[in-house]
Amino acid sequence: MDVPLVLRGRAVAALILLAASAAVAAPGPDFTRDILPILSAHCFECHGPDDADRKAKLRLDVPEGALGKGESGDLAIVPGKSAESEVMRRIASADADEVMPPPKTKRKLTARQIELLKSWIDGGAKWGQHWAFVQPKRAAFPEGSAGHSIDRFLAAKMEQPPAPEASKPALLRRVSVDLIGLPPTRDELQAFLADEAPDAYERLVERLLNDPRHGERWARHWMDVWRYSDWYGRRLVPDVWNSAPQIWRWRDWIVRSLNADKGYDRMVKEMLAADEVAPGDLEARVATGYLVRNWYALNPNQWMRDNVEHTAKAFLGLTMNCAHCHDHKYDPLTREDYFNFRAFFEPIYVRQDRVPGDADPGKYQDYNYSQVRKIVRAGAVTVFDKDVRALTWLYHGGDERNRQTERAPARPAPPGFLEARVQVEPVKLPTSVSFPGGQSFVRQDEVASAKAALAAAEAKIKPAGVALTSANEKRLATAGCRPEHVGEQERVLEDADLALRVAEKQAEAARVRQEAIAARIAADDAKFLGAPGELPKLAAAAGQAEQQLAVAQARVAALEAEQVLRANDEKVSAAADPKQRETATAARKKAEIDRDLKKQALTKAETAAQKPATDYTPLSPVYPRESSGRRRALAEWIVGRENPLAARVAVNHIWLRHFHTPLVATVYDFGRSGAQPTHPELFDWLAVELMESGWSMKHLHRLIVTSGAYRRVSASAEAAPKDPANRTYWRMNPARMEAEAVRDGVLHLAGQLDGRMGGQELETADMATSRRRTLYFASYPEIGGKGELTGLFDAPDPNDCYRRSESILPQQALALTNSQLVHEASGAIAQRLWAALDEPQRQPPAFITAAFEQLLSRAPAAAELAECTAFLTRQADAAKAAAKNTDGAARARDSLVRVLLNHHEFVTVK
Amino acid sequence: MNPFASRPLPRRQFVADLGLGFTGLSLGAMLFGDGVARAASETPPDGQPHFPPRAKSVIWIFLSGGYSHVETFDPKPALTKYAGLTFDKTPLENPLNSPKHHARFRSVTAQEVNVRDVYPTIYPMQVGFGKHGQCGVEITDWWPHLGECVDDIAFVRNMWTTDNDHFAENQIHTGRHRLEEQQPTLGSWVHYGLGTMNENLPKFVVLGGPTNSTTRYSIDSLYLGPQHGGVPLALDPLNPLPFGRRSAQQSAAEQRNEYELIAKLNGLSAVEYPADAQLRARIHSYELAFRMQSAVPEALDFKPETEEVRKQYGMDADATRPAGQKLLAARRLIERGVRFVQVYPSGYGTWDSHQKLKEKHTQLCASVDKPVAGLLRDMKQRGLLKDTLVVFCTEFGRTPGLERRSGGTDGRDHHPHGFTVWFAGAGIRPGIVHGETDELGYHALGDGHYVTDMHATVLHLLGLDGRRLEVPGRKRIDMDYGKVIREILA
Repeated sequence: MDVPLVLRGRAVAALILLAASAAVAAPGPDFTRDILPILSAHCFECHGPDDADRKAKLRLDVPEGALGKGESGDLAIVPGKSAESEVMRRIASADADEVMPPPKTKRKLTARQIELLKSWIDGGAKWGQHWAFVQPKRAAFPEGSAGHSIDRFLAAKMEQPPAPEASKPALLRRVSVDLIGLPPTRDELQAFLADEAPDAYERLVERLLNDPRHGERWARHWMDVWRYSDWYGRRLVPDVWNSAPQIWRWRDWIVRSLNADKGYDRMVKEMLAADEVAPGDLEARVATGYLVRNWYALNPNQWMRDNVEHTAKAFLGLTMNCAHCHDHKYDPLTREDYFNFRAFFEPIYVRQDRVPGDADPGKYQDYNYSQVRKIVRAGAVTVFDKDVRALTWLYHGGDERNRQTERAPARPAPPGFLEARVQVEPVKLPTSVSFPGGQSFVRQDEVASAKAALAAAEAKIKPAGVALTSANEKRLATAGCRPEHVGEQERVLEDADLALRVAEKQAEAARVRQEAIAARIAADDAKFLGAPGELPKLAAAAGQAEQQLAVAQARVAALEAEQVLRANDEKVSAAADPKQRETATAARKKAEIDRDLKKQALTKAETAAQKPATDYTPLSPVYPRESSGRRRALAEWIVGRENPLAARVAVNHIWLRHFHTPLVATVYDFGRSGAQPTHPELFDWLAVELMESGWSMKHLHRLIVTSGAYRRVSASAEAAPKDPANRTYWRMNPARMEAEAVRDGVLHLAGQLDGRMGGQELETADMATSRRRTLYFASYPEIGGKGELTGLFDAPDPNDCYRRSESILPQQALALTNSQLVHEASGAIAQRLWAALDEPQRQPPAFITAAFEQLLSRAPAAAELAECTAFLTRQADAAKAAAKNTDGAARARDSLVRVLLNHHEFVTVK
Repeated sequence: MNPFASRPLPRRQFVADLGLGFTGLSLGAMLFGDGVARAASETPPDGQPHFPPRAKSVIWIFLSGGYSHVETFDPKPALTKYAGLTFDKTPLENPLNSPKHHARFRSVTAQEVNVRDVYPTIYPMQVGFGKHGQCGVEITDWWPHLGECVDDIAFVRNMWTTDNDHFAENQIHTGRHRLEEQQPTLGSWVHYGLGTMNENLPKFVVLGGPTNSTTRYSIDSLYLGPQHGGVPLALDPLNPLPFGRRSAQQSAAEQRNEYELIAKLNGLSAVEYPADAQLRARIHSYELAFRMQSAVPEALDFKPETEEVRKQYGMDADATRPAGQKLLAARRLIERGVRFVQVYPSGYGTWDSHQKLKEKHTQLCASVDKPVAGLLRDMKQRGLLKDTLVVFCTEFGRTPGLERRSGGTDGRDHHPHGFTVWFAGAGIRPGIVHGETDELGYHALGDGHYVTDMHATVLHLLGLDGRRLEVPGRKRIDMDYGKVIREILA
């Protein structure tokens, strides 16, 4: 192998393109299309933008360098004169020390590539720009084309007659899995077949796009790209290092936004900067979960690195991370650009906010090496600018220890080569954001919770009083009884007395709590909300109320500890044998220690209260009143009309998930070492269409699934088609259902899928028994972060899944034949299908047909029917042989359903 | 009773003939086998070594938590001599002043968050040591059985890594520090590069691990695709792998009938769509699955093993049984053609002796000494050691200084600057020591060996060149490839 593979692929692509263009008019080679890929793949690593490693001081990625002299003094490229160009001489050289690229790189230009270069130089060596760095423009439709816009572009490149339109059942199954992630049931199939209106398909598409399950389906796709991950770090401890336990609110925001057809541009803005573009709206602010997901407690630099790398990859298709240690080897991204990009994120930190009806999550826990980070489920987690003056220092070698303090810190800016100007304007934040404790719902929740606590405590007083009276009477009635009995009643009386005291003190604490809340609210009013009143006085009153509350609560705690101790005393005396006694004594000792600690705490609280407080705790943490506006500027630039990258990257992701191949193979790298678009005109047309539709993703979905290309059959009837790889979309691509569609599909067809939407993530361990949709189960990059079954079907790696892999494993076969999920579902499906048949139809052929329709959305062929009929008999015998008292025929039907769930066509979208 | 014996399609139409391995018929590979490449797909390796191999398979034994190099295979009498002194008070060079200190190590936690403490007070060796074998290699007295095997072993005493915390467990398998982009694990590269020797068994098996939810990278194939990932097997022959056991509600005959019908129905489709490579891969995957259901339990069933063999692995004693079972299972898998067996004789972090080092290491060494020696002897006797490379390693060493955190008085902290691993078997020069640490056991001297040098050595012995296993679009750096440790090659 003398040519590295990546180059071979590109060389082939170049040849194809060349052949295509030659067929049309044969102009000279096009720089962007033909030359830049060759230079990028063979030359830029040493003669590219990175000046640190540049060889012979020669730079070939810009005309100023390429048309100038290298170290040798020779002109690299002389326009119009390939014979005088040093580049051509060196490429052709037979001398191992001279030839370029050097033999040790194992890169060698093909004869065709050399010819292209020569012809380009002789034609004047006209420079151009990399396709992705130029704004997309709506290309004119190819001449003479007609019909659906997508098909008009595709037709121009077709090398063979397109395949016919797929059957209605195949289309129904394809578009259902595609748009809502679930295959159709038999009933849906029959309804669709019965609909003979000419626009039946279009109405089906509308129905599916308006189905709330559409948002769930496509949310999962975008969660791959946006690296959704539930919290992780040390799950087994548990210790939260990465992401956050409330991150699921961001997932629910994605589902909601897609169902509402929120513009892609708006979604990007909210994910990067909702706290600046919609500060008062907590439901929008949870979108910044996109950034919280990258949070890494142990090293804030890592948080920043992930924010830079993945914002660039997900929204811009730029491998900005390659410019971290050195200038980019292929793209005009400098190391300075890298840190400038980081500066957009520099001020951020994470906060937790209360949501109505949920408990107070408290302040976000800072990292401390010796403290485990607790799992906080309450509230919402979002990003905010904590320090608008935070500096972004450049550092060497990708290691933050090597800070370059001799250089000025970086300033927020997009990559210089895109020549974009962004305006960073500070954002004033509403009081509800800088002081969330002032919101009326927070106050109401606090007041209501205190009120409820008081009612609960007071309710206990009366029964406790009754119990005390009764115990007292019983004690008095023991006069003259045996001493043990007297002692017993004495103890009961003391317990009752203590219980009453606890209830009374709890009520008292609840009352004090109410007072404290009122006092804190009054102080908050004066301090944050501009209400009249003397703040020092109010603050002192609130602080003192808190002191009283601390005393009251400590008193309750001490009494409760006393109760526990008495219960332990009882256990010790009731111990039946020495072993029990030993255990009980140890427990009693612990209880005693705890009681003493609680008593000490009470004393401490009382002592503290003797020194009246002058300040108090506001109802919530306090945050800055201004945000830097950096991320808003970044987001507005990303989805701005001038940026050539964002719409293309989004279109490519959407196209990939409909057609199962992307228009640009390197989905997160649109740079010069990435792939070329297979259909540049169509691609740009779609990018403009997306932007001009108000970035409506539903519009793009509708456009794509109603195209002729999407509706073709996927199987090739031809043994040797001209375009077997289907680069030209002459047929549809078949695909294996994603992990989620496999599991959800099985449950859906069994009528068992639980349609509840949203909420805290579920544990993967429960995936076999729970019936919720797969997207609601935990997903994180640790062992256990994928379902046992879904993990086998290429479930996403939350750290890196810009594109899913699609494997065929024997373990998948084991999962679909042996799993509890499939066994339960196949039984349920068989029973439903059998019950739905009218009595006279309850025969094998009708059942087999129903099963095929339910599971594969089609009727069986004659040969299949024959095989399955024979199977039902054979399997019923086998079932009876295995268990005498079983209904062999029923068991055989379960078996048949299971077989169809294992049919290639079940897991495949044809 | 193979339901595929009478399947309707001629064998040559099936992918088995394409030479693709077990637990992984990746779609990209499948389509390429048919001369059809999916966009952005690449030519996968053809399963053949790049040059004649010295080894066919590998047993990679990993001890989690970091065994103390100075109390295992790199004894340092100077520690006892200067015990209680701080580094700067000995006549030796102060290792903290060495430029290697900064150059080789990187803390995961940011400096402003936390820096692990440096412990400069020398802690004496907790065990004696002596010369063993013909070669006279010195190891400590905690290895009486392994001491008898040193003539088959090549020790590498100048290993270093860069992480001072337990993510180093992933690092020794992937070559990357926690703060860098993660790479596929060594076993996955082997899986990716080489064909199968028994398609009824996974090519890359994991026993006793991964040890923790955080150590998935040590078996993960990442961008190579799930088909190249390590397959953890439980030692229970009744239920060795997920979904590997027939449902209790079903008889063997019923299940066989199901597999038979699946094959028939898919076969009917295959007649209709002869060009559908995915369909053919699916059919083949069901054949494999059915056979795997019996092949895996058979490999893990110890019944055919004699009492004598079991004793050799220490399976007759509670302390050594857990390690013995895993290592015996490893031998049985290697015998049956598994390429790469990654074994975790001890649980996550068990060797992590911050405190009570003597007590812990005494027990831990005893728990693996006999089983590992048993494995070497058994493999040698069966002639398996000729074709199998055995590697024994841990994520880092332990500090020459006494760890004082939380008032500690009897342990050592993590130490990435120097540690010892060993190799035995196919292609290895037996009975040698390569490399050294300084007199205090602090720094690996010379260039030392970063963990990927172990990878390069393993791949080299298997006939593979890591640089020729490139995946387009996935840039690796020089450090990922490592250098072959030629000094230990036979």
